[in-house]
Amino acid sequence: MTHRMMNMGRGLGSTRLALVGMFLLAIGAALSYDNPAETPVWVLVVPLAFLAVNLLAAIATNPRINRRGGLLVFHLGLLAIIVLAGVGRLTHFDAQLEITEGTPFSPSDLTNLEKGPLHSGALQQLAFVQGSFTVDYSSGMVRGLTHSQVLIPDGQANASGGGQGWQTKVVGDDRPLILEGYRFYTTFNKGFAPILTWIPEQGEAISGTIHMPPYPLFEYKQDSSWTPPNGQEIKFWLRLKTGLREDAAWVLNGKTATGVLVVNTGEQRVELEPGQNVQLPGGNLRYDRLTTWMGYKVFYDPTLHWLFGAALIAITGLATHFWLKVGVRVPSSHAAGSPAGSIGRLQKMPETTDGRFL
Amino acid sequence: MNDMTGVISRATELPWLWAGLTAYVLATVAAVMGILRAQVATVGSMAVVRTHEKFVLLMVSMGVALIAIAIAERWMRLGHGPFVNLFELLMSQLWSLGLVFAVVYWRVPLLRPSAVVALPMMWVLGGWVLALQPVDTALPPTYHNDWLWAHVGLGKIFLSFCLVGTGLAGVILLRNTQRFASWFRHVPADEVLDALAWRFMLLAFIFHSLMLTAGAVWAQDAWGRYWAWDALETSSFLNWLLLGASIHARLTYRIPIRVGAIAIIAVFVFAFITYFGTPFYSEAAHKGVV
Repeated sequence: MTHRMMNMGRGLGSTRLALVGMFLLAIGAALSYDNPAETPVWVLVVPLAFLAVNLLAAIATNPRINRRGGLLVFHLGLLAIIVLAGVGRLTHFDAQLEITEGTPFSPSDLTNLEKGPLHSGALQQLAFVQGSFTVDYSSGMVRGLTHSQVLIPDGQANASGGGQGWQTKVVGDDRPLILEGYRFYTTFNKGFAPILTWIPEQGEAISGTIHMPPYPLFEYKQDSSWTPPNGQEIKFWLRLKTGLREDAAWVLNGKTATGVLVVNTGEQRVELEPGQNVQLPGGNLRYDRLTTWMGYKVFYDPTLHWLFGAALIAITGLATHFWLKVGVRVPSSHAAGSPAGSIGRLQKMPETTDGRFL
Repeated sequence: MNDMTGVISRATELPWLWAGLTAYVLATVAAVMGILRAQVATVGSMAVVRTHEKFVLLMVSMGVALIAIAIAERWMRLGHGPFVNLFELLMSQLWSLGLVFAVVYWRVPLLRPSAVVALPMMWVLGGWVLALQPVDTALPPTYHNDWLWAHVGLGKIFLSFCLVGTGLAGVILLRNTQRFASWFRHVPADEVLDALAWRFMLLAFIFHSLMLTAGAVWAQDAWGRYWAWDALETSSFLNWLLLGASIHARLTYRIPIRVGAIAIIAVFVFAFITYFGTPFYSEAAHKGVV
């Protein structure tokens, strides 16, 4: 490295510039508070890039860092975290999913998609079928644990082995379903879904589900609407019996819940039990049965484990530096109550190599 | 009114908590009296004057033990640890601050005079917890996670080391005032206290870093994201930056000792606001908490 480059490196890696970078990052963090989605990304990217350059230059040129193993590891770890966080944002994937019990996952059902420009995951290869779920509630309608059953292909977590059997897995809350690095987390969004069949006067019958609003959050408002092909809008209201109690513990369980579907076309109001049907303008509507839907948050970031490793290595480096170079032991001659004349000066305090105590 | 009476009558942990707080108060009184006696003592009589330190240590230890019983009582009653509401957080913080301070007080005699600064700070928490109702809580589903323990525990150690550093910083500032100069005349020089205080702040920085890491792992498990700039995350990250910047500034600019002491107190105040102020401006400490 030439003398000129060395000087430039020292300038770029100065602690003063590190302080400037930290100040800029603090401003970026404060601006991102509570609203990262609508905050311009550069308020964080610029100070982080600035700090990355500063760190790199300091590691290369500052002997107070690169000649002390612990501090070197700490600063390398910080640099790795910045780089990995950047890679993570470029390759990440976030989405929401509502999936009906008994149906397979389809990427086309994902909503609120957000992904990095370099994301190239294997969404199409993911395969699982949503099973039933239960959610525990304690007195006062305080939500407890969610137990959501999913079926995944035998032996492997992708669709390449189609035709194989399925194994059951229970996920929920902090136990996500992990497929090819994609993490599916249950959310408080879950509810009921009547399965309906529409038999038009002409043409083929179609079946589908209507996801009612989340339950029990919108227990008082279990309604929705649907307009059949060539028909008029139909309003639905679901009258549920789930065992919901506000004053005691209970379990939300789609298997034991029942629901009467109230169908309203404006001219006609009919209450249907599962299996019953009603003739409406343009066709016949059958309420097959009641099922449930579960809402998931989908998350993908290939750098997660690397980030964790980098953070641990960085902190280990700092702790090593502290243990070997700093410490908190003080010679007994400096203990409280020693004669004032001898304790007024730093006679035997161990110093670090740059003459500072820290 | 009946509700409040019911809440208090169910809270069998309260007598233990009150007893623990009383022990902390006695420790503070003993520490102040010891300092007052020391200001008129000669060097030869210092050994006699320092006998109060054993009493201070005993009272702080007793306070820690009594608050531990209070926490255990509530834990058995509700079936979960002190993680949910402000009453539980303050109670557990009083325990952890007392525990770490007692250990440091025992192992590092140099900082014992700082008890007159550090212990009254715990009164703030003590007074606050007494003003709160011990309302029963349920553990949110996202709290059934081992990383929560690591996150909370490491955070408590961080704040405790901050308290130790702040105690020393407080002594540095107080002894430079006319009113309190005589209180600390037997205490080592500012340079010694300053060095020790910053060492504890570096320890605090290590534990703060560990807390952020453990918290990110917990957040990933609990809410499917490791960082989302929620109120507590942002505030604690700013606190980490402030502490990191203070350490760098001290190394770079060789800032005056008293300015350094103010920086230490600023870090502690920021941490205090992060821990206990967040509930006032954020509906839930972490979004998606329930």
